[in-house]
Parts: sequence; C-alpha cells; structure tokens
Amino acid sequence: MTRPLADFLWRWRFPLTAAIVLCAIAFIPRANITHLDNDVTAWFSRADPVYRDYERFRDEFGGSRTLIVALKADTAERLFSRSTLDFIEQVTGDIERVDTVERVDSLATATTVEAIRTSDLGPPTSDLEPRTSDLGPPTSDRSSDGGLDVRRLLDPKNADPPEEVRRRALRDDLLRGDLVSENGTVTALVVSFDEQRIDQVRAGVIQTIHGIVDPKLPAGVKAYYNGSLEISETYNRITLENQRKFVPPILVITLIAVYVTFRSWRKMLLTIVAVGISILWTLGLYSLLGYSYNVLASMLVPLIVVLAIADDVHIMQHWDEERRHKPPEEAFKATVAHLATPLLGASGTTALGMASLATSHVVAVRSFGIGSAIGIMVDFAISLVFVPTLLSLMKAETGETPHEKYLVEPLRRVSIFSTRHPREVIAMSVALSAIAAFGIVRLHVDTNHINFFSPRHPLGQSARVIDSDLSGVYSFQIMLEGQPDTLNTPDSLQRMERVEASLRAMSNVKKVTSIADYVKRVNKELHDGDPAADVVPSSSRAIAEELFVFTLGGEGRRELERMAASDYSRAQISVKLKSMSSDVVLELVEQADVAAKAAFKDTAITVTTTGSGRLFSTLDHYLVTSQLSSFGTAFFTVFGVIFLVFRSARFGFLTIAPNVLPVIAVLGVMGFLDISMNIATVMVASVALGVVDDDTIHFINRYRREVAAGATTDRAIELATVHEGRASLSTAIINSLGFGVLMLSEYKPTAWFGGLLGLTMAVAFLAEVFILPATITLLPSMFGADALRRTRSRAAAA
Amino acid sequence: MRWVTLFYPAAIIAFSIRSSPAAPPTAEQIARRVQDRDTGRDSRAEMRMTLFDRHGRVRERALTIVTLRGRGNPGAAKTAPDGDRLLIRFTYPADIRGTSFLVWEHPKTDDERFLFLPSLGRVRRIAGTEAQESFVGSDFTYEDIGGREFDDYSYALESGNASWTDADGAAHPAWRLESRRKDSGAAFPRVVSLILKDTYIVVQADIYNRRNEAQKVYSVRRIQQVQGIWTVFDSSMANILDKTQTHLVVEKVGYNIGLREDAFSRRELESGK
Repeated sequence: MTRPLADFLWRWRFPLTAAIVLCAIAFIPRANITHLDNDVTAWFSRADPVYRDYERFRDEFGGSRTLIVALKADTAERLFSRSTLDFIEQVTGDIERVDTVERVDSLATATTVEAIRTSDLGPPTSDLEPRTSDLGPPTSDRSSDGGLDVRRLLDPKNADPPEEVRRRALRDDLLRGDLVSENGTVTALVVSFDEQRIDQVRAGVIQTIHGIVDPKLPAGVKAYYNGSLEISETYNRITLENQRKFVPPILVITLIAVYVTFRSWRKMLLTIVAVGISILWTLGLYSLLGYSYNVLASMLVPLIVVLAIADDVHIMQHWDEERRHKPPEEAFKATVAHLATPLLGASGTTALGMASLATSHVVAVRSFGIGSAIGIMVDFAISLVFVPTLLSLMKAETGETPHEKYLVEPLRRVSIFSTRHPREVIAMSVALSAIAAFGIVRLHVDTNHINFFSPRHPLGQSARVIDSDLSGVYSFQIMLEGQPDTLNTPDSLQRMERVEASLRAMSNVKKVTSIADYVKRVNKELHDGDPAADVVPSSSRAIAEELFVFTLGGEGRRELERMAASDYSRAQISVKLKSMSSDVVLELVEQADVAAKAAFKDTAITVTTTGSGRLFSTLDHYLVTSQLSSFGTAFFTVFGVIFLVFRSARFGFLTIAPNVLPVIAVLGVMGFLDISMNIATVMVASVALGVVDDDTIHFINRYRREVAAGATTDRAIELATVHEGRASLSTAIINSLGFGVLMLSEYKPTAWFGGLLGLTMAVAFLAEVFILPATITLLPSMFGADALRRTRSRAAAA
Repeated sequence: MRWVTLFYPAAIIAFSIRSSPAAPPTAEQIARRVQDRDTGRDSRAEMRMTLFDRHGRVRERALTIVTLRGRGNPGAAKTAPDGDRLLIRFTYPADIRGTSFLVWEHPKTDDERFLFLPSLGRVRRIAGTEAQESFVGSDFTYEDIGGREFDDYSYALESGNASWTDADGAAHPAWRLESRRKDSGAAFPRVVSLILKDTYIVVQADIYNRRNEAQKVYSVRRIQQVQGIWTVFDSSMANILDKTQTHLVVEKVGYNIGLREDAFSRRELESGK
C-alpha cells in the first residue's frame, strides 16, 4: 500500500508541491491572527441553555459583563475631598459619553434615601415661613413630620460638603462595601455596556476609558481596572503581545536548533518553509470553514509547529539515511514508503483526538477541534509530499550530521541498557509513576483567571483591591419570574430575604442585593431611620408606595429597573463574589440555585441562576471537560489507530505504558508545582498526547520493519532506538528550546505551556527509548522477533 | 423651575412678536414666548399616564394635577404666591391611590417638595430631585412637565419654515428651535423643538443626551382649546435608547377655577382628596 503511494507521489510530486505552495500563498490573506473575535457567541452556542438564560436576563436587566474601575486613595479624607469627588463626577460623565457605554454606577450616579429630622431640615425659606404657619398644622403630629432625602449622592446643584457625602455614602447599606469600601478609601466605577456591540469595539472602548481616567487622577489616588470585560480584553492583549514578543525568538531558536541538529542551511530553510506552509494551510482552511480566530484558536499555531517539526525531522533524518546509498527517486520512494504509515498513524490519532472536540458545548472548542484536526492531517499530507520533493531537489548531504555524531552512540547504549535491564527500567518507571501519583493527588481542576497573572500584574493588583475592599470582581444573578405584581408582594420579598440570608452565609460571597433591600431601606428611612423598621413591611400597599418613593429620583428609577421589571413580573437577586476558581464559582452558583428554588418552592415563581459568573464558570467547565474528554478519546483512539495501521491488537496494548507514563509524570509535576488543570494546561495535554503517541508509533513501526527484515529483537530495538529515538530526541530538543522561551512570559498559562511542553517531550522520549524496549524484552512471547515472525508465517500460511 | 408650561400651552398671546413686523422673531424671543404664554391662573386636570417598558409591558396610572400660577406670571392672580404650586395626586392603581406630591416653586431658591404616603399617614418633605430627573417614574422629566428655565439655555433657530402635521393630516407652520443647556454636565444638554407659530405650543422635541444621541422624542398627537387656552390632550415621550415610552392623556381639564394657595397646603396634601 505504501509503495504504490510512494510511486504516485513521486510521479506527481511537482504538480502537488506547486498546488501546496500556491494554495498556501492564496491562504495568506485569510491567515490573519492579529484580530481576535471577541464576541461571546464565538464561545457559546446561541442554543446553549446557559447562554439563552443569560440573554433572557440581559434582555430584562441589562448585561452583567462589566468593567470595574476601583479608585483607591491613601486616606478616606483624600477620597472624600472636593477634588476627588469632582473627579469622580467628571469621569463618570465622560465615561457615560463613550460609545456603547450604557451606564456607569458610581458615587456620582448613586441615589441615597435618608430620613431627615425636622430639626435637620433647616429653616424654611423666608417667604414660606409665615405662609406655612398660615396654612395651619397638618392633621398628623407636626413634630413627627420629618423629611426624606431622596437624591443623588453627588448632587451637582446642591453639593454637600465632602465629609457629609462620606457620611451619607458610608451610612447606605447598598453603597457601603459595594461602591465604597467600609473604611472609605476605595470607591468603584462600574461600567456596563451595550453587550450587543461592545465585543466588536471592546479594545478601543476600554482604552478610551483608561484615557479618560488615568490622566486626570488626583494626587494620592490610584486606579485599578478589573471586571469580566477587562479580564477578557487582557487575555486578548496578552495573546497578541505574546505572539509579537515570542514568535520571533521561537523561530530563531528553532531554526538554530534545526541547523545544529542537521548542520544544513538548506534543511533549516526547508523546515521553516514547510512549517510555514502547514500553518498557512491550517489557518486558511480554518477561516474558509467560517471559523473566527480567538484566544483558543491561537493555540493552533504552536500545535501545528510542534507536530510539523516532528514530522519534518523524521522525514529529513530518514531521507539522509536513504540518500547516502540511493538516487533521489529511490530515496524519495523509500522515505515515503517507510514513513507514510507511522506518520498517518501519528497524525490520525492526534487528529481524531482533536476531532472529538467537535461534540463540545463550546463553539470555540468545536471550531478549534475541527480546525486543528484538519490542520494536523493537512500537515501530514504536506510533510509527506512537500518535504521529500524539496529534499530531492537538494544537493545530497552525505556527511555525518551532528545528531548522528552525538546521539547515535548514546542512544545505542540506552538501547543496550534497556534490553539488558528491563526489570530495572520497568521498576524505575513504576517507582517514578508512584511518585508522580502523589503529585496527581494534589492536582486540582481550577481555572482562576486572576491567578493566571503574576501578583504584580495590574489585573492581580486590582483583583486584590476590589476583592478585599469592595464587593468583588465576580458576580452572578438569580432571576425570578412570575405573573405581574407577584414579585413585589410581602411574601415574595420575604422569600428573597431568606435566599439572601443563605447566600450571605456562603464563603466568598461579598454582597447580595434584591428589591427587598430597597424596600427595607426606604421603609427604615420613612420611619426616621429606626433600625427596627429595617424590615419588609407586611402590607402590599406600603411596599408599592415605598418602591414608588425610590423612583422619585431619576437615577433611583433606573436603579430599580435593574432590580425588577416595571410590572414586577421579574426580579433579580444580585450576588457579588471575590475572584476565585471557576469551579468554585460554578459550585456556588449551583448552591444558590438550590437555595433559591427551595425558597420559592410551592409558588408560581420560577428561578433561573444566570449572569456573567455562571456564563464564564460554565464556559471554563465546558473547556476543561471537553479537553479532558478529548484527551481521553485520543488516548483510547491510539489503540484503534495502531490496530488499524499495524493490524495488531498486541501492539495497541504495547502503547499503554509509554503513553501513560508521560501523562502521569506531567500531571504529577503539575501537582507538585501547584499548577492546576485549567483551560490552559488541558491544551498542553492535548498537544502532548499528539507528540507522545507519535514517538510510540514511529518506534513500533521501525521495530516491526527491522524484525520483518530479519533483525533479532535486540537489534531491532537498537535500530528503532537509534533511528526513531534520535528523531524524537531531535524533535524534543528543537521544540523544547523553541517553546522554552515561553517560560519567560509573565502570563502563567503561556509559561506553563512552554515548560510543560518541554517536560512532556522529554518524558515521551524517555518512555520511548526505555519503556518500549524494556517491555518488548520482558514479553518476548508477545513482542519478540521470533514471536512476530511466527505470527507473520501463520498469517501468510492462512 | 417653571411649572405648568408644556401641557397647558397658551393661546397665542395678544402681544406676540410684532415689534418689528419685517423681522422674523429671534430664537430667544420664541423661547420667551413659549415660556410666557397664558396658561390661566390655575388649573385642574385629570390625566391618565400609560408607561410602556422596553418589553412593551404596560402600567397604567391615573392622576390629578392641580396647579396655581405664581405671582408675576402672565394671568396670575395678584394674591398668588411667588412661585408656581403643583399638587399631583395618584388615583389609580389601588396600591398607590392617594399617594400625593406637592411642589412649591421658589423663583430664587430650590423648589420644595412634599410627599404624602397613605400607608404611612404622614407628610414627608423630599429633598433633592433635579429638573432633568424622571417625573413620578415616567419618561418625562420634571423639566419636560414644568417647562425649561429660560435662563438655563441658549437658543438657536434651526428653521423658520418647519411644519407640523396634526392627527387629521393638516400641516401647521412651525419653528424648529435648538435649546442648548448652559450646564454641559446636564443629562440632556440639547433639545430641538418644533413650536407651532400660531399657538407657541411645543408639538415635538428631540431630546439629546450627553453623547449627542437623540435619546428621547416628545410628540403631541392632539391639542384642543379649552376655555380659550390651547391644551395638549394627548402626548408621549419615547426613550429611544431605553426603548421605553410614556403616554399622557388629559381626560378632563379646567382653567381658572378659583384655586387658592391653601389648596396646596400640607393639610390638603394629607387629605387625599
């Protein structure tokens, strides 16, 4: 089968190569990786129930994906100084004017309700005094006829002294701990956007807001930015920055490594061109399929680079060996015939693993899975046609290459060691696996976006400020739905209170708010601030009137509309949280959902838990589970592929140990280093598996070929180790050196990717050259040369 | 703040702009005439307010608005108080029935506002509330209801040849006047109004937010003369960005009914009548 393929490819090599190059050139305009698609629907399917819940919530109450600007002053006096309050008022207004900004919640837009004692009202205006007296006393007790101050905290027309603003802000239960810290040194501007449009213009809008706030900051006040939009934007910024910053050194180091390995300018250039063509094809086809480029899709490039270099190194190394003794045509055909099967098997397993992502809930994962599967198979085809074709045009390089000079003998010794001490090798592997298992016990699934950045990173700093002094970076909402005028009844408000109480008792919950709090606040102030009146009234009429009072201030009306529908058929309970692991957020969301459903049991009110916290924690959960599922699928698929490629079930089983050990080792190291299994590291696992099973397949293929050619078990192992192990080692060195640069990144997922990739490749290589030979040696009746030959004879006889 | 101007637009007043017959009126003159038109000494109107939220959900409110023109305004009684008086009483729905709101305007100082909540049984003096804030939870602002303070704005005539088509399809000549708030921090710093030339009624207004987006549109559907005073009977304010709307229909109105200042007392506020 492989020989006819080799003949076919030799015959059509030039048209095929020309087609490969021309298509790659045609794909250049489509391979735009400088623009990231930010739309949330690039991740969530519109049909996803979690997304649909969020859309329904957003439609009613507005979006909850916000930008939080925390302003921290060195003292409370500084924050509540005239200049800082003027600054807050000015930047609030300026931000409100920015395109796509729907509203800004800040001290400048906050409405307070406060009882005013008669003595505090001040003297009536001079002309009113006599006339008021003339009007006679009211029917009720005049002395209890206090006032009610329903107005903006920062009233541009009647500016209170700063200390009075501070007193009012800190007195207000809804503001304190949310928009202003308990100690009065930190305040927040929470910016909400038109979520239909913000994702398209997010970077510019956030930059504009930074431009409004930063230059005007009063002395002694620092600005900290966070919130789901800032986090998403920071991801994008870092992704693009990393591409700009790290791609050049990765390319240079990779080229140097290729040069050092082969000591050939031609092969160095050939490798870079071949890898470039594979990337162009992958990104071009990805775009042609209608998929958009996003943070996840940015992993396509390193994935293809790693696999393409592995394929190309195998091809170039084999070519050199064949070309020494054969003319170009024969070398071409021998290389293709020899490598077509293992390359197909290696690419096929990885591609199938990636293709299994097509079943993911996450749109971006689906497109990444399909895109990368196609890319991997295209890379296989390109490598098999393009590289040998160009090699056949090159002048034969018959000299001894560095990888032969420096690696053959050590690998031969490794082979001898593995075959002479198989028990020790297996025992050592088992011991290492046991140690790694301890690390795996410590491994946890946890995507904490804030922890992805160093503590010095602005996002980490702002999260600390907002989490410790304000109501936290994350939030979710409980949406309640019923018939009109059902969510403003005393019974409903009391049930909301019960839900709030149970939520406040949960750790990490910083602030819980519902219309019950608004009613309680107005009720209390209408009763002259009596703490005993800080309750939901038992009369529906009183509640209706008190809610009406809150709408007397324009901002109050808007504020109330964000908590309840105008006909009180819908209301929300807002829950604000510290930044934390997505899994903990998801757990909290589920607990809140249970608590709310229990509180509204036996009523006609339905409960839906939603909001950005649920949206993104679910997304992270989907990402990790789909990747783990893909990883598992790929892991088992490798047996199927090997069974198909080698038509051997026993060699399928042989792959278990060398495939399992690198995975165990990497997971163990992650556990010891406290690196969680998160949306970034699961990608490493997928890429790693692609590399690990490549090594195994190449080794087994070579071993079987050498046995078929008459070699003894030990000799076949030695040849496989020396030739395929050398290619694996070269690939590992090249990729580890190249991607090792990523360890310098301040963005931890990028650094993890660089470090773990190198570790995986190293362990995969060690498993290939130690565990495979040791296992074969220990089980001669299954894998030994004689056993294979007997099986072959029986098959031929049959 | 000036009350009772937008919904009780006067008939064209006798001394309308004829000082220079050949010259068209200036923007300021038009604005002044809109503000100074005769709306009677006092009035009592029963109104129905329909609030549409962004989902088209409807909330009905019925209210009675009683007004007394302050001394010095055209048509005002000599014994009238310095500033306008306004008493709003909700009569529907049942859960806010009797909730009342009293405003005493003071020409040189802040207005005073008093609230009566039947369930509480007491009057509360309300501090705060700005001109450009929501009027009793509707899409109208107090300024829309009470009229714009002449000196708070600068004016420019956009068109002297505009026209307005009424519900019967008849075209009426109008001016298009731009009013710019002098305070740039205002929520709605710019208004472009269509003012009927013959009645000085504002029949349409595009109200712009700080981003200079037309956020709200005021439109009049029906005007009618009552006791010689042109009155807007059917109007609406749509908030285009928030997708909300308030429809205001005057069901019954009477002018110069002999109201006195004591009709705007706290006692009256508490009476709930």
